[in-house]
Amino acid sequence: MMTLLGISPQLLFGQVLIGLINGVFYAMMSLGVAIIFGMLRIGNFVHGAQYMLGAFGAWYLMHLPDLFPGLGLPSLGYWWALILVPLAVGAIGAIMERLFIRRVYDLEHAYGLLLTVGLAMVIEGLFNVGYGAAGQQYDIPGSLRGGVNLGFMFLPNYRLWVIVAGISVCIATWYTIERTRLGAYLRAATENPDLVRAFGINVPRMLMLTYAFGVGLAGLAGVMAAPIYQVSPQMGQSIIITIFAVVVIGGMGSISGAIFTGLMLGMIEGLTKVFWPQASTTVIFVIMAIVLVFRPAGLFGKETVAAHAADMSTARPDGILENGRLWLVILGIGGAVLPFLVYPVFGMKILCLALFACAYNLIFGYVGLLAFGHAAFYGSSAYVAAYTAASWGFPTELAILSGVAMATLIGALFGWLAIRRQGLYFAMITLALAQLVYFYAIQAPWTHGEDGIQSVPRGYLFGFIDLSQPLNMYYFVLTVFLIGFAAIYRIVRSPFGQVLKSIRENEPRAVSLGYSTDRFKLIAFTLSAMLAGLAGGTKAIVFQIASLADLYFMTSADALLMTLIGGVGTLLGPVVGAVIVVTMQKEFATLGSWVIVVQGSAFVLCVLFLRKGVVGTLEDWLAARAERRRIASGGAPAPVAKGVHS
Amino acid sequence: MTTPAGDNIIEARGLTKRFHGFSAVSGVDLDVRRHSIHALIGPNGAGKTTFFNLITKVLQPSEGTIRFNGEDITDESPARVARRGIVRSFQISAIFPRMTVAENVRIALQRPTGVSFRFWQSERTLSLLESRVDELLDAVGLLPLRDQTAAGLPYGRKRALELATTLALEPELLLLDEPTSGLGGEDVERISALIRQVAANRTILMVEHNLSVVARLADKITVLARGKVLAEGPYSDVSTDPRVIEAYIGGDE
Repeated sequence: MMTLLGISPQLLFGQVLIGLINGVFYAMMSLGVAIIFGMLRIGNFVHGAQYMLGAFGAWYLMHLPDLFPGLGLPSLGYWWALILVPLAVGAIGAIMERLFIRRVYDLEHAYGLLLTVGLAMVIEGLFNVGYGAAGQQYDIPGSLRGGVNLGFMFLPNYRLWVIVAGISVCIATWYTIERTRLGAYLRAATENPDLVRAFGINVPRMLMLTYAFGVGLAGLAGVMAAPIYQVSPQMGQSIIITIFAVVVIGGMGSISGAIFTGLMLGMIEGLTKVFWPQASTTVIFVIMAIVLVFRPAGLFGKETVAAHAADMSTARPDGILENGRLWLVILGIGGAVLPFLVYPVFGMKILCLALFACAYNLIFGYVGLLAFGHAAFYGSSAYVAAYTAASWGFPTELAILSGVAMATLIGALFGWLAIRRQGLYFAMITLALAQLVYFYAIQAPWTHGEDGIQSVPRGYLFGFIDLSQPLNMYYFVLTVFLIGFAAIYRIVRSPFGQVLKSIRENEPRAVSLGYSTDRFKLIAFTLSAMLAGLAGGTKAIVFQIASLADLYFMTSADALLMTLIGGVGTLLGPVVGAVIVVTMQKEFATLGSWVIVVQGSAFVLCVLFLRKGVVGTLEDWLAARAERRRIASGGAPAPVAKGVHS
Repeated sequence: MTTPAGDNIIEARGLTKRFHGFSAVSGVDLDVRRHSIHALIGPNGAGKTTFFNLITKVLQPSEGTIRFNGEDITDESPARVARRGIVRSFQISAIFPRMTVAENVRIALQRPTGVSFRFWQSERTLSLLESRVDELLDAVGLLPLRDQTAAGLPYGRKRALELATTLALEPELLLLDEPTSGLGGEDVERISALIRQVAANRTILMVEHNLSVVARLADKITVLARGKVLAEGPYSDVSTDPRVIEAYIGGDE
């Protein structure tokens, strides 16, 4: 039997085949994401959940008699599912568009992503509640069992079918979009959505149908995936991040590019599994990083249309709630009293996450960059701090500083890569890069995989303060938090902070004034990563553990949620958000998976009804009240510019 | 002061910009004389704004070279070009809406000071710029409004603010993109007077639709049509050129 580089052809072709099948799913999914992104400007994070719905839809149809006993329903098999489920999932998509997504079209793109993140958490959380982590079995349809012996390998019929059918669907979609009248409208909309909005055609319906179509494709992919992978609530969660990376690699503007990129990356992943198995989970993300360096617009992307930093800040700079000196004192006093009101551990959790959220707010709120991968900095710092403290016996303060150094380094690297692209791409890239770190930590020996690094010693601060005493530990964490809080306030209110503000408000103008805005963004991003690392490293010492959860994308989502609930770009928002989210997580902890549902709902509700957040809303209210009082006490209304002439 | 490498501050040669096969600007040669007010006119879609974007490097030309004070700047970044002293205004007034009027100007003054990367200093270190901020605001008549949020200003005042911000950079070459568009009569007068006032010791290249403003201010006019130079010269020549009347005045309006 011949071998290639010591690899048997069975293994090689087998993995290429698996890669090709993955590639078919990547192509179908990224096609839908690209269409939705191009047309609706929505980064459809819920796409993974919709794919999962497709797989569950097929499973439901199969089990209709068990699910609704007594109604005499038939068990509908694979072929029925192939037709009915994409339609049903598409219809669900249409309803979601009508109820939720439509409301954010005219808002900053960030809200669309946040909304779909929330929807994904709700859907996946609900299925988690219903089915737990265990997967359901879905049998290969009878007519597609068996396989063909190709001589050098055995090709199962079902896999052949998936490849043929999947590629056919992709080509049909390509044909519809590139060669038909309907497609011409869609393409026009991708090139210039505003123009098509001005056409006479029923744009809202067209948007709804486009969304439904993209979602239907995800549903179809889900049905086709059901017999291959386990039908489980988690199946969409990891694939969506990979899909985002595929979209970044392919670049927008080319449907065939999206298909080709998906197939190609699937095969590369398969080949990597043969030659370097450990790297197979990360290879797509590494390719993304390389593509960003050499072809920032993506392999098939055209010159990117500059979508600039988004001003999502809700702060009123002169309000009393934005006075950092005052609040540093108040938070210091409040923090000092806190351990007598709640468990110190609970207080420390709030402080660590509040610092994390404040660090995140620095880049999201004050620079307007929708970063979605801060778990990488929080988590990597936690791991390094835990490792240096546990294995190398570093003193506590040095262990935390080592973690901070690692977070800063990774932050500078990721920032350097991600700042090449704007808007939603920035979110997708930071998310994908963070996932790279996550997969690394699953496999690296020193991180101990699922176990994480446990029993990290708290040690002695400066060699003599015993941190195993809860109150000592608490006051140390409080000090770290206050230092971080003060640092952020200083950064925001510095000459540098002024430039950040101008970038957020009007980036082209800042450039025309001579500011190399990318450099400012990179420094701000690195500072934000550094402070997130400070939070992560401290957390590892407090809880004496660094685990995969610290690096998981839900941790990034937590930072976003805390900032959003509290008030984006406000001084106190992240702190208030952290108190709310940590309390919520504690209260709902006994409900298991419902926590995810509750958090997802919080996302959705915040995006729809509380975009200013708690603190932002409060600041508005205070400002309005002050204005009313001033008028009531005989003062003139605020000077309107029109009234003054030189 | 840098020694000029000739009488021309800008020398564009064969400047071309194609978008998907469509040439918005094709083979334009343009010289801008130092210390002159040079106007760029032409019907809608003539390529005036694209030309501006090429000079300020917001767009990268498909072909051609741009020299500024004799130095080739064709491959430089927009921010670098701005630091060289080419500063532009925008068709839609470019202000920082949620910063105060004074902060808008101060952010421009801050740039040459070299403190902009200092994230560890308090912004109070910028207070030594305040007197210059007030001078500039006074020059455009905005001093009484200095602590207002820029977003609240009426349109004409926003343009004045943008001009003050631009002037804060002491640009050698000022590019004004339709400085009077959307303004009422009184505001047009004020902005025109301001432009004349700031033109001393500076070069101004402006795109302008209001021909009476052009007639009064410009030393030289270049007429663009379909991405090409149609005519060039003082207003009296250009305004009587039959090709210009055909393409611009007769054809478009």
